[in-house]
Amino acid sequence: MNNENKKSIKERTYSWLDERFKLSALIDYAKKKSVPKYRETIWYYFGGIALLLFVVQVVTGVLLLMYYQGTENSAYESVKYISTKVSFGWLIRSVHSWSANLMILSAFIHMFSVYFLKSFRKPRELTWYTGFGLLVMAMAFGFSGYLLPWNELAFFATKVGTDIAGQLPVIGEPILKLLRGGEDVSGATLSRFFGFHVAVFPGIFTVLLALHLIFIQRQGMAEPADWKDMPESEKKYIPFFPNFTMRELLIWLIVINILAILAVFFPWELGTKADPFTSAPIGIKPEWYFMFMFQTLKFLPGEILFLTGEFVGIAAFGIAGILWFLVPFWDRRTPSGKRNTIINYAGIFAVIFIIVLTTLGYILD
Amino acid sequence: MQKQLLNIFIILLLSIFSSLLCAQTKVQDECLNCHKEMDSEPANLYVTDVHYSKNISCSACHGGDSKSDDMDIAMSKEKGFIGVPARSTRYEVCIKCHANQETMKNYGSKLPANQYENLKNSVHFQPSYNNEGPIADCVTCHSVHNIKKVKDPESKVYPINIVSLCGSCHSDADFMKNYNPGLPVDQVVKYKTSVHGRMNVKGDPNVAECASCHGSHDIYPVKDSRSHVYKTNIPEVCSSCHSNSKLMSKYKLPSDQYDSYVNSVHGVALLQKGELSSPSCNDCHGNHGAVPPGVESISKVCGTCHVLNMELFEQSPHKKAFDENDFPECETCHDNHAVMHPTDKMVGIQEGSVCMDCHSNDADDNGFIAADDMKKLLDSLSAEDESTKRILAEATQKGMDVSDAEYSLKDVRQILIQSRTSIHAFDISKFKEAISPGFEIIGKSKKAGIDAVDDFYFRREGLGIATLIVTILVIGLYFKIKKMEKKKG
Amino acid sequence: MNDSSDNEPVKTKRRDFLGLLLGGGFFAWIIALFYPVVKYLEPPEIEEAKVSNVKIGKVEDMAKDSGKIIKFGNKPVIVIREKTGEYVAFSAVCTHLDCIVQYRKDYGQIYCACHNGRYDLNGRNISGPPPAPLTPFEVKVVKEEVIVHEKEV
Repeated sequence: MNNENKKSIKERTYSWLDERFKLSALIDYAKKKSVPKYRETIWYYFGGIALLLFVVQVVTGVLLLMYYQGTENSAYESVKYISTKVSFGWLIRSVHSWSANLMILSAFIHMFSVYFLKSFRKPRELTWYTGFGLLVMAMAFGFSGYLLPWNELAFFATKVGTDIAGQLPVIGEPILKLLRGGEDVSGATLSRFFGFHVAVFPGIFTVLLALHLIFIQRQGMAEPADWKDMPESEKKYIPFFPNFTMRELLIWLIVINILAILAVFFPWELGTKADPFTSAPIGIKPEWYFMFMFQTLKFLPGEILFLTGEFVGIAAFGIAGILWFLVPFWDRRTPSGKRNTIINYAGIFAVIFIIVLTTLGYILD
Repeated sequence: MQKQLLNIFIILLLSIFSSLLCAQTKVQDECLNCHKEMDSEPANLYVTDVHYSKNISCSACHGGDSKSDDMDIAMSKEKGFIGVPARSTRYEVCIKCHANQETMKNYGSKLPANQYENLKNSVHFQPSYNNEGPIADCVTCHSVHNIKKVKDPESKVYPINIVSLCGSCHSDADFMKNYNPGLPVDQVVKYKTSVHGRMNVKGDPNVAECASCHGSHDIYPVKDSRSHVYKTNIPEVCSSCHSNSKLMSKYKLPSDQYDSYVNSVHGVALLQKGELSSPSCNDCHGNHGAVPPGVESISKVCGTCHVLNMELFEQSPHKKAFDENDFPECETCHDNHAVMHPTDKMVGIQEGSVCMDCHSNDADDNGFIAADDMKKLLDSLSAEDESTKRILAEATQKGMDVSDAEYSLKDVRQILIQSRTSIHAFDISKFKEAISPGFEIIGKSKKAGIDAVDDFYFRREGLGIATLIVTILVIGLYFKIKKMEKKKG
Repeated sequence: MNDSSDNEPVKTKRRDFLGLLLGGGFFAWIIALFYPVVKYLEPPEIEEAKVSNVKIGKVEDMAKDSGKIIKFGNKPVIVIREKTGEYVAFSAVCTHLDCIVQYRKDYGQIYCACHNGRYDLNGRNISGPPPAPLTPFEVKVVKEEVIVHEKEV
């Protein structure tokens, strides 16, 4: 008797929603979604991990907002307060900091795996463009969030970072003033970065993310390029619901636990409060995801021909970034099923370059 | 006839003798001869002068030719005659010889030749207020024409005489106000009340007088670090006599004060750390009116800086007891010159404590019990402070924040200082009042430290439980997936 | 019915066990996730993290011509209400050897009991060993509340 009642409640809820939102159509559609099963399937998890970590950031970020105060006078003290006086504040804060780094890392891995698997090719160009935008936004989140505890390291890292932005010709000066809210890094900078970090960037990110996800749902998971000429019977798939989802859930549980382990054993430090009048500490360096660019700029000589070394560096990265962004546009070979060795080598070069320069940035103090 | 012969012989002898004498005595100094005939005062005085006894003629200072009795030659400019030297430059005459070591040696003198070097930068050599020359030059103190050796009791700068010499300017308020109306003019009066002054008046040339401390030529204002009596130089100046055991034994005085002082808290602070607020000899003994403080007033001397200790002591039962027994108040426990940093070992009933110098384990000795109680409380608080610091350090090392508790602990240092001060009331209830807040603070800080360490372990335990749950879930999911796929397959 | 039900109970038991494990596990996991979040949202005892200024109470709380020591972050600060009713505040750490100073009503001055150092009500060292004046703090009265600030340079 009970079973029948339960069933009818479930069924009745379902039909109530279905009449209003055409649920059955959505569910049928969702049932069809599948993930190609082959050697590289493992890379398909990283987008989801990045998404999970973003959700973690939003949740922990909102919790931090309950106690954080974004003014020069009390930012540092409020973060200290969260870390020491608030119940589990240490956990929320460290998770937020670690998750930020892991999110950017998994975004990079996700992007490189998409690049090498050529998933950006037609019809998925827009997915790639929005994805690139999401990566840039993630790094912007990282840069703006890093300043918020208003500690010594963050203060000087922001100073150096905005200095580099100011090196651009013509637009450099106004950009620097816009970022800093003045000539120097000050309380005004903190206010701006806080506004960017909790309002502007989340807004932009959400829009890009929604587009990115809509595109993926609409087009389904990308198949490997060399499946183009394979007969249907030989292609193997994992149904997205529930198989792939359960696998993702398993991985997500592990990722969340890893965050907890990191928060307990490697708590994020606070350091000393920022003081604009002290000199920069020796060995000031940006966060690891900016390190490769920072180290490259350090290696460049002061002047190259008639241009400053820094400008050449920034210009080079800018051009490389634009080329990378436009890869769906200029990759003509993959859509026709051929291997694009130039793209592969460019990608391998990029990965090695980033790894080597990041490592050098830490070894060469 | 024989009598007359004898008379002639005597007269002859006398005249030979006197002429020999005359020959010895500057027959060549025609300046002196002439001016003596004129009955001039300088000439009359000069025969008493030490320079005269060294065969130095008037022309050595005034120029001219002392061998000629012709005034025009003797006092001619060509022969270097300068007449009465101008007030502003007359010292140049003295230094012609006295600044030249060779010249001094040639006259068989062991005198130094650095007086002018010392004098020229000193305060006395600055221009006088009416711009006539230096405030004081050689002549001002040593006089002229009747200069005596310093050791000569007739010299103006002989120890007995020097006091009135210095006082002739320095006790004259009208005169001194031209230079510094703020300078005291009572030094001589005060000096005469001091031990040094009283003995000097009695005629003892070995006690300290003005020049002994201030120097003779290189005198600087007291606040000038070059001055002999600049704060950090005073202990050495006093010890130049007071550490001389041979000299001090004549007055039945000890000679170990300087050695004691140099190693004391005050000596180390002043001489090694340059703490100018630390007392030097004159801060307790006085400058010009120097006396060792009386037994009943020692606490007032120490109390000029250590006010609280003095106030507490004077209201304590020890004041009456000490006065009745003629014990020198602060000095009894803390010594007078060798004042060391007090330690808790001074209090209590153990060997080496100052309390046990008088108190004993008697039934009616309340002091004994009080001393014991105080020591136990002090030790207890210090030990608790240490152990709490260790707990907080452990918490910090584990990465937990205990900065609030560490801040509170700073108060314990303050409370220990206040408790040690309140010992001087020699009242166990007052002492307990001072020290008990310390235990309260310790209790709170210790708890904060222990809580922090507990939290450290709690985090790991919590993580362990969460990881366990996740592991179970992961394993469960894994099997579920496997099962699901088997079914489908 | 009898022969098929022989295998069923074993399978259902295993299925039930796994289902129980997963269900129970997830429930526990949700609790492990929500417990810290809920505790986090509960406000702690010490309410705020402000250290750039400290509220010390209402204007009437301190009598005229009196002083008290407050905690400003991790520094002791002495707050004095003068005879005129005005408030002044200084660092309470004596510049001689770091003892904590006090307000002496009988002197009308700030006094350090350790070695008889004295400061006037402008914080200037006027007597005894202290070599330097006390660092001043600013005191503002906003809507009957007395607030001590760091002094802007």
